[in-house]
Amino acid sequence: MNIDTEEEGCAGCKASTPPKWRQDFPIEWEGDHYVSRREMVKFLTLGSLLLAVANWATALASKFLHRGSHAERYIGSAAALEQTNSMLFRYPTDEDPCIAVRTPVGKLVAYSQVCTHLSCAVVYDKAENGLFCPCHHGLFNLEGQPVAGPPTRPLPRVQLEQRGNKLFAIGLKA
Amino acid sequence: MLAFVGAAVVLQLWLLTVSVEALLSGEYKTLVPAAAGSTVLLAINVGLLRYVFRFDRDAHGE
Repeated sequence: MNIDTEEEGCAGCKASTPPKWRQDFPIEWEGDHYVSRREMVKFLTLGSLLLAVANWATALASKFLHRGSHAERYIGSAAALEQTNSMLFRYPTDEDPCIAVRTPVGKLVAYSQVCTHLSCAVVYDKAENGLFCPCHHGLFNLEGQPVAGPPTRPLPRVQLEQRGNKLFAIGLKA
Repeated sequence: MLAFVGAAVVLQLWLLTVSVEALLSGEYKTLVPAAAGSTVLLAINVGLLRYVFRFDRDAHGE
């Protein structure tokens, strides 16, 4: 019996014999999208496996992560720092912005300019006596420690050495 | 059981965020214990899933 005559059958037949298209596609739309609790548990267990693998990958990454630098680089003159109390430079590579600050007590400090929150550039705020991140109003003291706002990790410190009027960056402590 | 597995996965997510934060901070002491904790949670989840499979097998076997 073809599909054209199927629907012309008796009333009793119509109730018991589904049309051919229904026989080819027996699952309702809602049933096709139904996710049983068993399937959800299997999916969550797979996610659990991926999370555990990611956790171990993070633990192993510490073996390969290169932190810090001991390269020496000329960054500018001490006289330039006296005028503005802060100076921007790049260390250890041209891709790494840093900031040097002459503190109110005359100490020379330098840090990476990359905010540890979301990598915005911090600037020296004389009024706050610290390094201010304008993106989310984070504030670091002149020891590099976060004191306000969303940052939780300290700024990496750059070790400076003054030779006469010249300033050299000699190490990065991440 | 679904709620328990879901809670374990959420804990694993938290452990992963702790691990990444520790990696970025240079606090490497936290990494291996966090990964071990995540593995324990994974073992619990796998154990529960095996229990479900065994339960089904026993039910159909009856």
